[in-house]
Amino acid sequence: MDPTAQLDLSKLSDADKKELNQFLTNEAQKSNIQQTVHHLADVCWKKCITGKVSSGRLDRTEEACAQNCVERWMDTNLSVLKHLESLRGQ
Amino acid sequence: MAIFGSSSGSSGNVDEIKSTIMKQLQQEAAVNNARQLIGKVNEHCFDKCIPAPGSTLSSSEEGCLSTCMEKYISLWNVASKSYIARVGKESKKYGSQETIAMNSLATGGD
Repeated sequence: MDPTAQLDLSKLSDADKKELNQFLTNEAQKSNIQQTVHHLADVCWKKCITGKVSSGRLDRTEEACAQNCVERWMDTNLSVLKHLESLRGQ
Repeated sequence: MAIFGSSSGSSGNVDEIKSTIMKQLQQEAAVNNARQLIGKVNEHCFDKCIPAPGSTLSSSEEGCLSTCMEKYISLWNVASKSYIARVGKESKKYGSQETIAMNSLATGGD
């Protein structure tokens, strides 16, 4: 069933394993980023696409709104972290 | 297939094992990504285009769904671009090593 079950991993050298490990780390990170983008698209759709959908493209205000939405979300993120840090120092 | 062959540790064999694992991993990630996108499109576009569900899907509703899907994908791409740009900027500020992954994602296309 599962094709990986047929793979003989004992043939891999330490260097091979290291390479795979690195690959996995990179993929996990990409997947993390994509996860965040899914979340951002979700949030910013709610904030920026308020009217009826009449075109498949974003108009100028919607695009600007989406960009601002991402930037402010990041600001919020950083601001929360900063504040948390200051609380910890108290 | 060569994966099942037992030629003792020829380098081609090992490479094949590696590339099989990598390919499978990437494929699973792509499927996962697509599934998530479809879920969100469904959720938001149902909301936008089908305010009062009738006995059938009208052609105007169907048209709205296609338009909505395109719009959602456009928004996703804008969000992705803005986010990656911002993260790149931030990690430059704080000197994080995440930049490498960012770059590969930014140039990898989708």
